[in-house]
Amino acid sequence: MKCPRCVQRIHRAAASCPHCGFTLADADARFGDEDVRIRSLTDTAGILRRGDRQCVEAAMEKITCRFPQLFVAIYTGSLGEISNIRQFGFWLLNRAAFEDVPVGKPNEAGILITIDPESKAAGMVFGYLLDPFLEEADTFECLSRAHAYWLEGRYADGILRAINHLDSILSKRSRQARRDPEHFERRILGPAHLGDLVRRIRAGHRIVAPEQESTEVTR
Amino acid sequence: MKFFPLLAACGLLISNGFALDEPMLPTWHGNERAELQAKGWVPGAILLSADPVPAEPLKVEQPKPEEIAEDLKPSPEILEKFLPAYFAERPKNFLIDPQGLLSPADYRDRLGFLNYHASDSSIDLFVYVIGGEQEIPSAVREEEMIERFFSAGRPAAVVYYYLGAPQRSVVYLSPSITDAVSAAEQRRALESSVMQAFEKTKPSEQFEKFLVQMSIRIYWMERMLAGAPAVESVAPIANSNEQDATKSAKILWLRNLAIRSAIPTAAILGAFMTIFGFLHWLRLRARHRFPEFEVEPRLGGSHAAGIGAVISFASAGLPPASQRDQVPDYLRRA
Repeated sequence: MKCPRCVQRIHRAAASCPHCGFTLADADARFGDEDVRIRSLTDTAGILRRGDRQCVEAAMEKITCRFPQLFVAIYTGSLGEISNIRQFGFWLLNRAAFEDVPVGKPNEAGILITIDPESKAAGMVFGYLLDPFLEEADTFECLSRAHAYWLEGRYADGILRAINHLDSILSKRSRQARRDPEHFERRILGPAHLGDLVRRIRAGHRIVAPEQESTEVTR
Repeated sequence: MKFFPLLAACGLLISNGFALDEPMLPTWHGNERAELQAKGWVPGAILLSADPVPAEPLKVEQPKPEEIAEDLKPSPEILEKFLPAYFAERPKNFLIDPQGLLSPADYRDRLGFLNYHASDSSIDLFVYVIGGEQEIPSAVREEEMIERFFSAGRPAAVVYYYLGAPQRSVVYLSPSITDAVSAAEQRRALESSVMQAFEKTKPSEQFEKFLVQMSIRIYWMERMLAGAPAVESVAPIANSNEQDATKSAKILWLRNLAIRSAIPTAAILGAFMTIFGFLHWLRLRARHRFPEFEVEPRLGGSHAAGIGAVISFASAGLPPASQRDQVPDYLRRA
């Protein structure tokens, strides 16, 4: 994964970016530290017509039906700089309270598409629930599908293409996760877990009681 | 110089010696020479003339008057005793040879072929075998006879075949099919059959080739009757005709096979489509769930860590492929 501000790689348990020290607090300082109440489809930039909105909402609803744990949110607005759109997506998915999303679905299950028609940039972020299953490359593929449409200003068509591709990727990953959940679980193991694994290997994969271990350490 | 008279004398003696071995020349007797000269004979005149030497006349027996009378007939008509067998009624067999011009074996083989043709074709082929030099009596009107005998029943092609002279053959069609088959087509059929017959020299073999080709041509007439357009416009060669007939038979077989297998194929395809559609519908209706793992929060975010891509669509000159490797802005080249 990469830092939303400096786009440098960071490890999976980083409390802050080891390169630039970025945290959510920095984003709060920029965009506000209070929760924001918005709808899952918020067209602040006004780039979607009424008919387009219905099509986009239908596509979002389809994702919700096929993946009952998940929801898709779309925000369009002017953010100024391209570099800001990463931080804004990160901040919005952590601070937004989506009015039309059931309370049982936390933002961890959200996928947020942010479009800035002024700076001609778009970003896609997702919550912790999809952390083991999606990668940055997957989101890039989805946005690539929409690129040609957004170049022509056909925002709704681009969003539909992106959501369709997202649907196919999620279906594939869900089938893979059903077959081999351990494969995805290993992706999110933190350094502590890895330390346990190394210890188990050194111990010849024998189960060692913590007390015994502490005794050995004392000696 | 004294040797020359001696050599000449020796040569004369030797030549006289050889001359004594040859037969003696004829000599005149009495007043034979005087008589001939009195009649105007000139000695050696025969050698001066360009006319060939008259041969000695052969003793030929003079023909009798009745024989001369027979030779004056240009071609004999069919004897009257055979006429009823030929023309009195609609023939019972496809091969009519009351004169026994064909050998029994040939007759049997050709009749077998004509019977086979009748079983395979909707147009029967009747063949009247007539001697190569014979003539149909003028009292017999062929067209009228065809109309009388062959108007009813299955359509038929009637051929008068002159054994040993296939070029004299004539073909008639029964009235029910004359409208559908043009006179030109009839003529072409006859011509190609005659051409085939002339590939052989024996009359019986000519007859066999003629019948085979005529049978093939009748197949084309059948197609005309069925409404199919005639494929060829010129008199074809037999080989191409046979190939066409074989091809047509294959096409017919394939068409029948296609008709017979159409329903099962459609049923199988329909079943596959139904199954495929059902599976697709099931897949669309499928609900996917992800296993939930506990993920440690990062960068202070309680719901998300900001993982995801950003893409710029400011210019068509900056395609997605060039944006795949997303690096910090300060690492980008100016």
